[in-house]
Amino acid sequence: MVSGKKGSWTLILAIDTTSGSSAAVVNLGEVLGFSVFDDPFGHAENIGQAIESAMSEAKVTGSEIEAVAISRGPASYTGLRVGMAAGLAFATAREIPLLGVVSLDAVASVHGAGFTEENWLVTSDAKRGEQFVGIYSGLNDVGLAIREEQLQVMKPEDLENAFGSLPRISEPCDARAVGVYAEKAAAAGIKLDDLSALYLRSPDVTPSSKKRVSG
Amino acid sequence: MIDIRFAIPADYDALVKLEKEIFEDQAWSASTMVADLEALHTDYLVAFNGSELVGYAGLASPAGSFQADINTIAVSKPQRKSGLGSELMQRLIELATRGGAEEMFLDVRADNLGAIELYKKFGFEQIDTRKAYYQPERVDALVMRKAIDQPLVLGIETSCDETGVGIVKGNRLLSNALNSSMEIHARYGGVVPEVAARAHLEALQPTIDTALSEAGIKLEDIDAIAVTNGPGLAGALMVGIGAAKGLAAAIEKPLYAVNHLVGHVGADILERGSLQTPSIALLVSGGHTSLLLVNDLLDNVELLGETIDDAAGEAFDKVARILGLPYPGGPEIDKAALGGNPDAIRFPRGLSLPKDMAEHKYDFSFSGLKTAVARYVEKAEDNGEEINVSDVAASFREAVVDVLVTKALKACEEYGVPRLILGGGVTANARLRELATQKCSQAGIELRIPRFSLCTDNGAMIASLGAQLVMAGREPSGNRFGAESTMEVSKVQSL
Repeated sequence: MVSGKKGSWTLILAIDTTSGSSAAVVNLGEVLGFSVFDDPFGHAENIGQAIESAMSEAKVTGSEIEAVAISRGPASYTGLRVGMAAGLAFATAREIPLLGVVSLDAVASVHGAGFTEENWLVTSDAKRGEQFVGIYSGLNDVGLAIREEQLQVMKPEDLENAFGSLPRISEPCDARAVGVYAEKAAAAGIKLDDLSALYLRSPDVTPSSKKRVSG
Repeated sequence: MIDIRFAIPADYDALVKLEKEIFEDQAWSASTMVADLEALHTDYLVAFNGSELVGYAGLASPAGSFQADINTIAVSKPQRKSGLGSELMQRLIELATRGGAEEMFLDVRADNLGAIELYKKFGFEQIDTRKAYYQPERVDALVMRKAIDQPLVLGIETSCDETGVGIVKGNRLLSNALNSSMEIHARYGGVVPEVAARAHLEALQPTIDTALSEAGIKLEDIDAIAVTNGPGLAGALMVGIGAAKGLAAAIEKPLYAVNHLVGHVGADILERGSLQTPSIALLVSGGHTSLLLVNDLLDNVELLGETIDDAAGEAFDKVARILGLPYPGGPEIDKAALGGNPDAIRFPRGLSLPKDMAEHKYDFSFSGLKTAVARYVEKAEDNGEEINVSDVAASFREAVVDVLVTKALKACEEYGVPRLILGGGVTANARLRELATQKCSQAGIELRIPRFSLCTDNGAMIASLGAQLVMAGREPSGNRFGAESTMEVSKVQSL
C-alpha cells in the first residue's frame, strides 16, 4: 500500500544540488514532500537528509519510489555531482528509471507562463564572473519551456550586448521544479535519457611543461 | 559483580587450579593448559568475582579459517546457575563474530543435558556424534555447530583517481570492481582533481554494476554501506559520498563513513581472513607516504610519520618526467632501472641524517631527491654529456626504497613489532618488494603484501573496514557527514 501516492502513475523522487541541496517526491503534478538545505557548500553533508526528509514528509519509503529525476545542471561542478551521484545510486539500487533534467529548463517551465514576449532567458551563476544562459520561447502543450539554442556560458557584458532587452529569470532551481518537469516530460513521451553532467567547460588544466631547477 | 576480561599470564596459576577443581581427573595438565592459553590462535576470557577466578572460556580461531572452536567453558561450582556460563558463551560468540568466523563448533558430553539445552538456545545444532569420546566412562560427545551470518557490506572508494566498489561478507572478499581515470591524467603528468571527479561520476554506475554481478548479489541484499570520506581530493570524495547516501536512502541500510588510510591497513583481512596486530604499516602511493603503528584496527592506529612534501609515488612520476618517461612513473622507472647500477649515483636519502632523528625519525621527504635528480640531469645536458638513464633510474629508485624500508624496519624494531604490512600503489614497485622481503627476512619480521588489486585504492578495503565496524557492533555514521580531505589516521570512522 503506497500511502502518499495518488492514482496509478509514477512516484518520482527528484534531486537537485544546483544551488542548495533539495529533494522532492512528486506525483501527478503535486509535491508530496520537499526538503531543502540552502547551504551552497554543504551538498555532501545534506543530500542524504534532504532525500530522507522529502520521502518522510511524503510518507513513502525508498522501496515505493518508481523513478528518480536528477538535475544535470549547468551549475557549480562539485555540488552538482553530489546530487547526481545520489540520484544515480538510488535508481541503480532500486533498478528504476533515472531521468535527467536540465536545471535551466526546469526553472523556465515553472516561470515561463508569465511571459508574453517571444523569447526570454534563464540564467544562473557559472562562477568566474560568468553566467549559464538558456534562451526560451514559450511553453509546449504539456507546459514545458521550449529552449531555442544550446546552453551557453557568457560574460555579463556579452550577455547584456546579445540579450539585454529580453526578460530574464535568475531564480535558482530546486527539486520540485525538477520533479514536476520530469513527470510532465515522461507523460508526454519526451525522453530524458541524457544523464551526463552539464559542465559547459573543459576542466581548467593545461599539460604541464618541464621547468629547470638549477640556475 | 562479575568482571570478565581477557586472560593474562598472571591468571595462569588460578586458571590451572580452577580447571583441577572443576574437571578433577579429566582436567588438563598445567602444561597443556598454559600451552593453549599462549597459542597464537586462541583467546581466553576470565571471569572474576572480586579477586577470585570463578570462570573462564577459551576460543580457538586460526587466521583465515573462518571457523572458531570453543575449547572450553568452565564455571566454578558456587557460580553455577548464576548465568555466568551464558554470559561467557555470549562473549565467545561476539569474539568469534568479530574475528570473522562464519561457523562455530563445540563438543559436549551427551549426558550433559543442561549444557546441550543452553547451546541450542544460542543457535548450536548437533551435526555429529563422537562415539565413546569421554573416557573411561565411554560417554559420547556431541559435535555442535552454529552458523554465523556475517554482514554483507558494499564499499565505495573515490578519494583519488580510482572509482572502486567492493563487496565483502564479513572477512571474505566477494568482489572488487575498479575503474581508473589514470590514462586521462597521463597527459597532465599527474592527477587533476576536476578530471578525477568527473570520471568518478561517469564510472559510478558501471562500477557498482560490475561489483554486484561479480559478487552475484543484488543491492537489496546488502546489510550496510561503507564509503571513504577522507583523506583525499574533496571533489572526488564527494561523488562517492553522494552515491553512498543515495544507496543508503534507497535500500534503507546503515551507512559507515571510513578513513581511506585505515582501509589500506585493513586490506590484509581480505587476504588472510584476519588482521594480526600489533603491526607496522607502510602505505606508499601517489598521494600518501605514511608509517603507522596499528595496535587495533578500529581503536588504536597511530601515525608514526609521513611525508613532509611529495608522496613517494609522486616522486616517481616527477622523476619519470625529468627522464622523459611517461606517466605513471613507477612502472616506467622500474623498466628503465633494469640493468642499471643502483650505486652509480649516490642520491640523497631524505630525513635520514642523525640531525633529522629528533623531529623526523619516521617522516619522509622526497622533494630534495627529485631536485637532486633534476640537477644531475641538467648538469649533464649543460655539459653535453649523455646520461645513463638506467643508472639514474636505478639509483633514484634505490634512494626512495632504501629510506622507506629502513624507516619501516626501524619502527618494527623500536616498537617490538614483528610484522610489517605494505599497502598503496607503490607496492607494485619491484625493488620495494625485493628489498622489503630481504630486510624483513634478515630481521625475522613477517612481511605482508596483499595482492596488488587490494594494495592500490579499491572499494573492497573500504567495504572490509565497514564490515569490521559492523561486526564490532559500532554505530553507523548517520547521514550528515561530509568529505574531510585531510582526515587524520587516528579517526577510523566519522560519526
